[in-house]
Amino acid sequence: MADAVFSTLVEAPAPKSNMGEPVPRYDARAKVTGSALYASDVALPDVAYAFLVTSAIAKGRVRSFDLREARALPGVLDILTHGNIGDAIRPVKFFTEGGPASNSVLPLGSPEIAYGGQTIAVVLANSYEVARDAAHRVLVDYEIDRPSATFASPGAVDQELATQNKKHDDPKVGDFAGAYASSPVTVDVSYSTPAQHHNPIELFATQCSWTGAQLTVHEPSQNVYGIKNGLAAQLGIEPSQIRVVSPYVGGAFGSKGGLTQRTALVAVAARKLGRPVKLVPTREQGFTVATYRSETKHRVRLGASRDGRLQALSHDGFEVTSRPDPYAVAGTDASTRMYACPNIASSVTIVRADRSTPGFMRAPAETPYFFALESAMDELAVALAMDPVELRRVNDTMKDPIKGLPYTSRALIPCFDRAAEAFGWAKRDARPGSMRDADWLVGWGCATSAYPTQMAAASARVSLFPDGTARVETAGHEIGNGLYTVAAQVAAERLGLPVGRVTVLLGDTDLPPAPVAGGSISTASVCSVIAQACDAIRARLSDGTTPTGDLVAALKERGMGSVQEYAEWVPHGAPKGAMGMLYRGAAQPTGGAKLQDRIQFAFGAQFVEVRVHARTREIRVPRIVGAFASGRIMNTRTAHSQYMGGMIWGIGSALHEETEIDANAARYVNTNLADYLVPVNADVVDVEVIMVPEEDSQVNPLGIKGIGEIGIVGTSAAVANAVYHATGQRLRDLPLRIDTLVTGA
Amino acid sequence: MTNHSDDERPASVSRRRFLGATASTAAFPLVGVAAAGQAAAQTMPPPDPQAPVDVKLSINGEMYRVGLDVRTTLLDALRDHIGLTGSKKGCDHGQCGACTVLVDGRRTLACLTLAVAAQGREVTTVEGLARADGPLHPMQQAFVDHDAFQCGYCTPGQIMSAIGCVKEGHAGNDDAIREYMSGNLCRCAAYPNIVAAVRQAKLQMEG
Repeated sequence: MADAVFSTLVEAPAPKSNMGEPVPRYDARAKVTGSALYASDVALPDVAYAFLVTSAIAKGRVRSFDLREARALPGVLDILTHGNIGDAIRPVKFFTEGGPASNSVLPLGSPEIAYGGQTIAVVLANSYEVARDAAHRVLVDYEIDRPSATFASPGAVDQELATQNKKHDDPKVGDFAGAYASSPVTVDVSYSTPAQHHNPIELFATQCSWTGAQLTVHEPSQNVYGIKNGLAAQLGIEPSQIRVVSPYVGGAFGSKGGLTQRTALVAVAARKLGRPVKLVPTREQGFTVATYRSETKHRVRLGASRDGRLQALSHDGFEVTSRPDPYAVAGTDASTRMYACPNIASSVTIVRADRSTPGFMRAPAETPYFFALESAMDELAVALAMDPVELRRVNDTMKDPIKGLPYTSRALIPCFDRAAEAFGWAKRDARPGSMRDADWLVGWGCATSAYPTQMAAASARVSLFPDGTARVETAGHEIGNGLYTVAAQVAAERLGLPVGRVTVLLGDTDLPPAPVAGGSISTASVCSVIAQACDAIRARLSDGTTPTGDLVAALKERGMGSVQEYAEWVPHGAPKGAMGMLYRGAAQPTGGAKLQDRIQFAFGAQFVEVRVHARTREIRVPRIVGAFASGRIMNTRTAHSQYMGGMIWGIGSALHEETEIDANAARYVNTNLADYLVPVNADVVDVEVIMVPEEDSQVNPLGIKGIGEIGIVGTSAAVANAVYHATGQRLRDLPLRIDTLVTGA
Repeated sequence: MTNHSDDERPASVSRRRFLGATASTAAFPLVGVAAAGQAAAQTMPPPDPQAPVDVKLSINGEMYRVGLDVRTTLLDALRDHIGLTGSKKGCDHGQCGACTVLVDGRRTLACLTLAVAAQGREVTTVEGLARADGPLHPMQQAFVDHDAFQCGYCTPGQIMSAIGCVKEGHAGNDDAIREYMSGNLCRCAAYPNIVAAVRQAKLQMEG
């Protein structure tokens, strides 16, 4: 990329120990000039336009279509339905069952309707306007069954997760029931979190173009090799016939990690028409074209001695999923391991309803489960009349309470201390409602953040040229995480070049594979393999002797045109055959609490001030302080934005975001950005991010833990705890809104 | 959420005439989005999409002449017909601000503007702010300096809106910037950095 910009640094956080320079984003100029090409920006010659027709009912079947009026519109090319697509798309399995699908309903596979918003027809036309017009002229005769919308809906089926997913094992240790019964101080509380949608600002576009038997897919993706291989299976062709291109992704947050129904439909349409096809689903359609965070319920029981030490902890989670797919986040894996406690129990129950299959959304497991755990910890602190920071301190542990394995590093208490100091926590009057400022009730709350440190196998090719430039090639994903930038930094550092001399190519299956950009694994996985390739270049140019500093001079001395190294990196604990799985688009993140010999997490602490208006009960968050320790920080500028973005997501999760579900129709009600509330600029005032230096030589050679998700974890509990402190009202159901404060419901 | 274009969309003689002739609803572009044909068909014959309208648009100082379906929005005209894809589609409903452009110097949502209604006006998109290898506009540079984006998708709209915000005199303090930039959603939530960028660029634009 010739137009990378590395200008004067302005107000970026100064690096501390074990932190890289705050180099401005590699792709900054492309992004501020509009020259960065996202999937729907790519101009394909003679492109036809697709428009989806989606189901108006959540359960039943299409009795018949009347396509006459739609087909009669001049410019309409074709309309795909279950009646005419034949066997063009083959069934593939859900990802927990070894397949590539994020939703195992076969696209246009039958007249059956499994969820509201399911794609039931694809209109193809010469222009977007005609395709849209025709889609609205498709008449559908439905046979309607009564759907189950959510928890406790008639017909919804509860199942223990362990019976549906063989890999799940409920964490437990000791004798919870006995210890809880004998604990002098207990809390037994229930919480709920709503369905939420990622709503990246970029829509879920797909463009497909065939050249003979070769298919090129332009689609914003967090997993280009996953799309390539999954789509090949769906179309019954070789993966080598498919190229997936996604150099820029306009926000993802988990929504662009999986193989959705649309890709195969667009590919089939393009093959049928013999010309490229462009699909840009509407914002409303995006609510069911991609996945979402499903609603959860929790029961948390804590038992403690009078000095605050936990004696018993139990977390029971309930999560909605679809009829066909046993999706669950099972956050008990993390929530049972945060604090020293000898007696722990947990369970996860999935509830099958007539909904689309949920999927990963930023800190999928920890966001809802830590709202419950960290709210309950605050309730326990109140019951003990103990400072909530001290409660975390007395229950800190350096080993996993379930298996007894050591944490590779854990800086939870340093994070609490740094954030508490910056926040001014010592000035807090613990009595609820005691910190009033004129008409505003002021409340301060805090919570623990944590996120498993995971990685996956990755590969990369690095080339060094005699003109002192280098090129990094790997199919990692730039989703706003700053991967272009940190990839350039690690190569520059290892090769001894200025960062502006490094070109980085990402997001293309013509490049060596990298894993899904999910689970906060990208920087650790991709930087590790780039470093390994750079070190191989250094080794080749050093002839086994102690390498000199100037690799470019060594390259010229040998009269070489370039030196290129391809590297494969496999993290600790990865399964056998991890590289093969990577090439097949099925690399599995490993780490966190899943290792046999140790446990690895990043930690943080968040402190929130809320102001609740005494009369209107309006809730504002004027300031939030988060301190995080996540191993090596590659770039304090991009890391600051990752943490800050996560914390603001946490504010949104606490106060704004909720996908409302029609309990009778099992359909989403607020499928647009005016009714699905996300934080806007005026909702965010003072966000302070503190990066606590931490070294962890075990997690990977560079000591990187990953930072994309931890910022949202615990935030909503910190907000709710602050609302309790401001008002004395304990709100246990998200989002926290004026109406719940007024009614106390 | 503040929808800045609602109260700032310039009164347009040609648009009023268009509205008067076709429909009585104020949300006129949405007529094309939802239930397009049925609603229009009762009041007038649907326009023949095979007969494109000859549209002349002045964009970033260049004149473009394109044949368009009369229902084409300015945003789709820019992106799909003229090849200027810097302006982004995030909702097509005027709710996210990613498509913000300047029309006669005022920030305007290109997804809520029909291309035919932009004729005779000067449209500025993000591509019009800096030459390919030239210096960046102070607002673009400020966004780089303050890391005022992550994924970059809302960024062209944020930058155009921010320029409008400064020119309107709504960037006098941080609270004003926050309020008058709230029509542009940033799902990566770079908001504090956007405020810092607007503050920096304002000094340069006015200095």
